[in-house]
Amino acid sequence: MVRKGFEKELRKLEDSVIEMAETAKKSIDTSVESLKKKDVKLAKETIALEKEMDKNSLDIENRCMRLTALQQPVAKDLRFIASMLKISDTLERVGDYAGKIAKITIKTKDKPLAKPLIDIPKMAELSKEMIDIDIEAIRSKKVEGIEEKLTQRDDVIDNLYEQIYKELLMMMFERPQIISDATDLIFVGRYLERIGDLACKVANRTIYMVDGRRTLIK
Amino acid sequence: MTSIKIKNLNAYYGEKQVLKEINLDIGEKRVTAIIGPSGCGKSTLLRCINRMNDFIDIFRAEGEIDIDDKDIMQMDPVLLRKQVGMVFQKPNPFPKTIFENVAWGPKIHGTKDKSTLNKIVNNSLKQAALWDEVKGRLKDNALGLSGGQQQRLCIARALAVSPEVILLDEPCSALDPVSTAKIEDLIVALKKHYTIVIVTHNMQQAARVSDNTAFLLNGDLIEYSDTDTLFETPKDKRTEDYITGRFG
Ligand SMILES: Nc1ncnc2c1ncn2[C@@H]1O[C@H](COP(=O)(O)OP(=O)(O)OP(=O)(O)O)[C@@H](O)[C@H]1O
Ligand SMILES: [Mg+2]
Repeated sequence: MVRKGFEKELRKLEDSVIEMAETAKKSIDTSVESLKKKDVKLAKETIALEKEMDKNSLDIENRCMRLTALQQPVAKDLRFIASMLKISDTLERVGDYAGKIAKITIKTKDKPLAKPLIDIPKMAELSKEMIDIDIEAIRSKKVEGIEEKLTQRDDVIDNLYEQIYKELLMMMFERPQIISDATDLIFVGRYLERIGDLACKVANRTIYMVDGRRTLIK
Repeated sequence: MTSIKIKNLNAYYGEKQVLKEINLDIGEKRVTAIIGPSGCGKSTLLRCINRMNDFIDIFRAEGEIDIDDKDIMQMDPVLLRKQVGMVFQKPNPFPKTIFENVAWGPKIHGTKDKSTLNKIVNNSLKQAALWDEVKGRLKDNALGLSGGQQQRLCIARALAVSPEVILLDEPCSALDPVSTAKIEDLIVALKKHYTIVIVTHNMQQAARVSDNTAFLLNGDLIEYSDTDTLFETPKDKRTEDYITGRFG
């Protein structure tokens, strides 16, 4: 592969990773929607998206390995390829969490929710916003202010999770018969809180890719 | 041991300036790589360090190069070249026996005792990782060796006069990957005892063997830093473009 082809491969790699990020957002949406409406079809769709992301992540890994072997990249090319590899892996884990939420929907499809979902959709919205911020940074190669933007949203997500956790704990004390369903919702909150952390990890890699800084947002 | 300080070095061939205000501190017992596009002045810079350019009529240099705080212009060039050995791109053994090739330097510098010479030849060949391949045939003509063996013989020849600095100008460019790997291992092993400066066109080689890397462009020193930094997060856009192959 000559150098021009290399450039093209790098661009295609970026496109694939951004596509994965879009899929990750979609899977957050469908998973939480499926739970809200107890919609098994949406849940299955989420699981299909998870599978798709597993496949894409593997494909990206193969392409990164191949480019590394053939082009022996250095400097920004090396940082770019290493970051794409890590980011696709991180996004795949977002898909895994969405898949876990969808499996809770399937498991509890015939039972009503322990409580109406209010904070969980908010967490989902915030985590999607965070992934959007990641996407924009990867595309534009601009990372100014990204740490503040993500930290701000991640703090809100963490607080929401705390709130959900306490609220459901109280409910379990009062109505032990909902313990199982309430625990499921605590897990869902926990998964979304983790997704927020993963969005921060994507940003860490993006910052390294753009200017070589090693950051630890989260 | 031996550090090299290059201060405000300017070099010219006739009217043409080929090195501009070079300031470079080369650390002792380290491998320093010099990289840059063809014609940027790498070989000229290397040859300044042991005054090999003195042989070129139209060559002229300003500035100062100190080896262990001694100005090389004040030194006897023959002794300087004993202290600063050089290995070239193409292996250039003399058309003599393997033994004679290595014993040549010490002989010139006055060693006559046969057993001392034997010892020097053995040690140098061992240090150059060639001993096992030639020990039974030291009386054979050196030109019968493979290219990679010849290059290690030239390194042994340089080592035989106990230099402190070794300059290598693209030492692997005529060698296959196996011989190249041997020379690279050798360079890394030798830095325990010697200060090494290597010119190479092979980025990966510079990244593999050197501790520090200097990037030259059109006679200017653009960037000089530890090798890991230079290849992971270079500071200058021109360095980045060159090492990632987006140059010109
Ligand atoms: N003996 C000479 N007489 C005149 N000009 C010379 C002489 N040797 C080198 N030059 C010129 O000086 C400049 C630097 O040459 P030098 O050999 O130092 O480059 P280099 O970086 O080692 O290149 P390469 O990677 O091709 O070996 C070039 O423009 C070259 O043409
Ligand atoms: Mg040269």
